[in-house]
Amino acid sequence: MTTAATLLAAEEGANPLIPHVYELVVGIFAFFAVVLVVGKILVPRIQKTLAERTDAIEGGIKRAEEAQAEAQALQQQYRDQLAEARHEAARLREEAREQAAQIKAELREEAQAEARRLVEAAHAQIEADRQQAFAQLRTEIGRLSTDLASRIVGESLEDEARQRRTVDRFLDELEGSGAQAVR
Amino acid sequence: MTALTVLADDQFGAPTPDELFNLPPIIAGVDWFTKPVLLALLSTILVIGVCWAAFASPKVVPRGVQNVVEYGYMFVRDQVARPFLGKDADRWMGLLVSVFFLVLIWNVMGVIPLAQFPVASHIAFPAVLALSIYALKVYLGVKHQGAGGYFKNMMFPPGLPKPIYLLLAPIEFLSNMIIAPFTHAVRLFANMFAGHMLIAFFSMVGFWFLFEKLTPLGAGVGVVGVIMTIILTGFEMFIQFLQAFLFAMLAAMYIGGSLHPEH
Amino acid sequence: MSEQERRPEDDGQDFANAAWSIPSSLLAGMAIYGGGGWLLDRWLDTSAFFPIGVVLGVVLSVYLVYRKYGR
Repeated sequence: MTTAATLLAAEEGANPLIPHVYELVVGIFAFFAVVLVVGKILVPRIQKTLAERTDAIEGGIKRAEEAQAEAQALQQQYRDQLAEARHEAARLREEAREQAAQIKAELREEAQAEARRLVEAAHAQIEADRQQAFAQLRTEIGRLSTDLASRIVGESLEDEARQRRTVDRFLDELEGSGAQAVR
Repeated sequence: MTALTVLADDQFGAPTPDELFNLPPIIAGVDWFTKPVLLALLSTILVIGVCWAAFASPKVVPRGVQNVVEYGYMFVRDQVARPFLGKDADRWMGLLVSVFFLVLIWNVMGVIPLAQFPVASHIAFPAVLALSIYALKVYLGVKHQGAGGYFKNMMFPPGLPKPIYLLLAPIEFLSNMIIAPFTHAVRLFANMFAGHMLIAFFSMVGFWFLFEKLTPLGAGVGVVGVIMTIILTGFEMFIQFLQAFLFAMLAAMYIGGSLHPEH
Repeated sequence: MSEQERRPEDDGQDFANAAWSIPSSLLAGMAIYGGGGWLLDRWLDTSAFFPIGVVLGVVLSVYLVYRKYGR
């Protein structure tokens, strides 16, 4: 204001605060042309574009978030699967160990049974052999003693009863000591 | 201006406002076609052309000229429209962007080589814009608050003791209805007028003492004139931008005040 | 604005409104009451009412701006 006032005081020619009519007309024309083209046509376009840009940015963020969520879900899935697989493997290993132990126990039992069977068979064989040997020995000794006695006594075998008693006593004694000897 | 003329010697005449601002028609006989008129029209074409190039088919990913003009648009939206219009900002962006860009280019014409005349230093141009916005302000006020409500809200702000209204109402009326639009136009006009005079004065000092009448004593004065011209041109560019911003800001303020009554 | 809820931009708006209405109000106050005083002076052929009017205008304008925006 003060500037305008001092300039007014120094003024010699036309008053600069009085507008020229033709400039008013040109000014109105210029203003309305700009408002019409820039304000009514161009600004709505850029506003639409800016809104689209905002949408695009927000959409982009949303898409990124979705992708991230998906990736996380996938990772979780893999992790679950991995854990499951690990668990399964542990279970299988445990099962195998159990099976192995079982098989080992069975085998051991079988082997022990076989051994026992073998030992028993051997025992039985030995016993049978002994019995056989004893029976053979008994008849052999009987025969030998008879032979010996007939040799010693000769033909005097009248007292057959005494002879038989003597043989039996001899055999009993022999059996008692023989059984001790066999054992 | 008297102080400036005293500085000058007998042969050097400081430029008078009449010489600087009362320009002859470019084509003899066509009285209305003067330099300010030509520049006003060129500025109009420039504003429309640049905005058309930028926003005719705007891209979501901006490129080239769209980037630059979009920056201006964002500036108007964030610094001018939104602080004063809030949620109504987008509806008035067309008008505010037009006002800001047109005033800015009119002002910048003052430092563009060959043009070198701020269009807004002729009162007619700011006056047209200010009057249009004034008409819009009154229209919107009556439309949104009713004829009675608008003047009542303006002249009788609530919360004052009754007898005081008798004294204050005339002040409010004069302030809002006459002084506001007048200062709206004159602030822009006076800034451009004074800025142009200062630049013209110092550039004429430089030209006169270095080229027209080169003397050992005068050369120093001429160098000072040239340096001052350069400094003032830079300063003037800032003022040109600032005044365009203030002009658009006041327009937004008046519109906002009409849409919503003051407290 | 009183019946509407306050928006965040209101504070900046208040400040700008106050800043721009102070010179405007001062000018209006001085013009109205200074002008009235000047007319009284001319009518009564005195010279006291013009300065009184100007001062009164300034005081009223400051009071107006204070009441509207100062609280």
